[in-house]
Amino acid sequence: MTDDLTQLTIKDASRLLRLGSISAADLVTAHVQRIERLDEHVKAFLRFTPELWERQANEADRRIRQGDAPPLAGIPIAVKDVLCVRGVETTAGSQILKGFKPPYTATAVARLFAAGAVMLGVTNCDEFAMGSSTENSSYFPTRNPWDLERVPGGSSGGSAAAVAAGEAMISLGTDTGGSIRQPAALCGVVGMKPTYGRVSRYGLIAFASSLDQIGPFARNVDDAAITLSLMSGLDPLDATSSDRAGMEVLNNFGAGVKGMRLGVPREYYDVKGIEPGVKAAIDAALFILRQAGAEIVDVSLPHTDYGLAAYYIIAPAECSSNLARFDGVRYGMSEVDAPNITEQYLETRRKGFGAEVRRRVMLGTYALSSGYYDAYYLKAQKVRTLIKRDFDEAFKKCDAIVSATSPTVAFPIGSKTQDPLSMYLCDVLTLGGNLAGLPGISVPCGTSDGLPVGLQVLGPQWGENVVLRVARAYEEASEMKAQVAEVV
Amino acid sequence: MLARIGLEAGDEEFYADQLSGILEHIDRLQQLDTEDIPPTAQVVEIASRLRDDEPRPSLTQEEALANAPAAVNGLFRVPSIQEET
Repeated sequence: MTDDLTQLTIKDASRLLRLGSISAADLVTAHVQRIERLDEHVKAFLRFTPELWERQANEADRRIRQGDAPPLAGIPIAVKDVLCVRGVETTAGSQILKGFKPPYTATAVARLFAAGAVMLGVTNCDEFAMGSSTENSSYFPTRNPWDLERVPGGSSGGSAAAVAAGEAMISLGTDTGGSIRQPAALCGVVGMKPTYGRVSRYGLIAFASSLDQIGPFARNVDDAAITLSLMSGLDPLDATSSDRAGMEVLNNFGAGVKGMRLGVPREYYDVKGIEPGVKAAIDAALFILRQAGAEIVDVSLPHTDYGLAAYYIIAPAECSSNLARFDGVRYGMSEVDAPNITEQYLETRRKGFGAEVRRRVMLGTYALSSGYYDAYYLKAQKVRTLIKRDFDEAFKKCDAIVSATSPTVAFPIGSKTQDPLSMYLCDVLTLGGNLAGLPGISVPCGTSDGLPVGLQVLGPQWGENVVLRVARAYEEASEMKAQVAEVV
Repeated sequence: MLARIGLEAGDEEFYADQLSGILEHIDRLQQLDTEDIPPTAQVVEIASRLRDDEPRPSLTQEEALANAPAAVNGLFRVPSIQEET
């Protein structure tokens, strides 16, 4: 019985809660028991928040009894270790922030709390969200619930794995180059990156500020949609947040794909390194979408080959600037006994940052340095314009774009850690969406060699409802609802 | 040195090797003619918006210092940056 409660959707759980068949406390207990049984294998969580879950579950039960339950009352969530929660240790997967307890809560999280969600804990991720496998966490790697010898993807690997393993009903991640969609694909769950500006970034430990967005993981499209709608909207604390109503993401999203034009970019379809099994799963998905009434059209994104290069200038440049704040003075790890301030900086950052973070800070500092700025950063920002124009052109011919989310299924732990470029190529189909600020989702679309494959749907800016509509129609037509992994 | 990250012996070659591989990939950007292309400064069009300049609660001194590795007399403590005269 208690394990059954970890397989529920928000809709089903909410119905049972309102009927009084179960309590929010029961839901928490079921998830905590499953975590106790499985998380020593999956290692999705870095830390747990028992004081919060007790208080929030009690509050949810009280509101439900009073008959004024908010939309997520009692729903257990997990939060990536880059989103600040007041008083809860938040470290961005890094040693440099060990022990840091934020004095405020990220807006996206606060909104879900206000909607009644119950926080179970903090999930593992690549250090400062830099990576595609969660192996760059300075604590431990998270494992893929479908095959414990493989990575869950990243950087939001802990959040994806927690939902896939039934350890949380929904979770939050962040996506700078694919860090929600790629782990969602590799773990067989739904993961959505909103349009840049849809969700406030206040309280997010910044990686690359012009690319970062916060988004949900869930086991079906409805749950992702409702969660996104509740965390969206204007926030005076983030000047880039949009004043569009959060609820607009739900407009018409159950309308099906009949008559819609779905573009397949040939550069994505035949991307270098795509596995035959992934391609076969995408072909099957395109067939199902056509059967459901969509028109599949050929489109082109001619600058795809330059996307990775532009991304690996812009993201490291912004990160080198954002991470300058970790100087050992105001928070986190510090070499307080250093003989002078420069030594304090050097030693704090040498000890506090892992290899990937150091690589990107060095790369970004180089790209921004005097004499190289025009050749690297300015050039990359111009290429970013070309990539955005590619998408603008494509969306004249189609309503949404469909492709694989990741060229490969989950890969063995350790197989890409020695070659940074091979790891970066994991995001080749997702990072264009970040460079162009587009909304995108990954939904499960079958398996290859027994491992999950994800279908990516990208829409024009502010077209979350279009993206969700295609994803939901596919989910319904394919009957490919995300499963909960047995793990052991 | 600009990045203010200390390196251990041997680190320099390790990172130099990896970074030159990445820079080699990045160099493909030079193939594109971007002479007349404006850089993307802001990817979505959001009207510039200013918040009313009203006083509102902020962190207390105690909260601001709660995570400090070293604090003294209500201030962050850092190594001396000037020599005593």
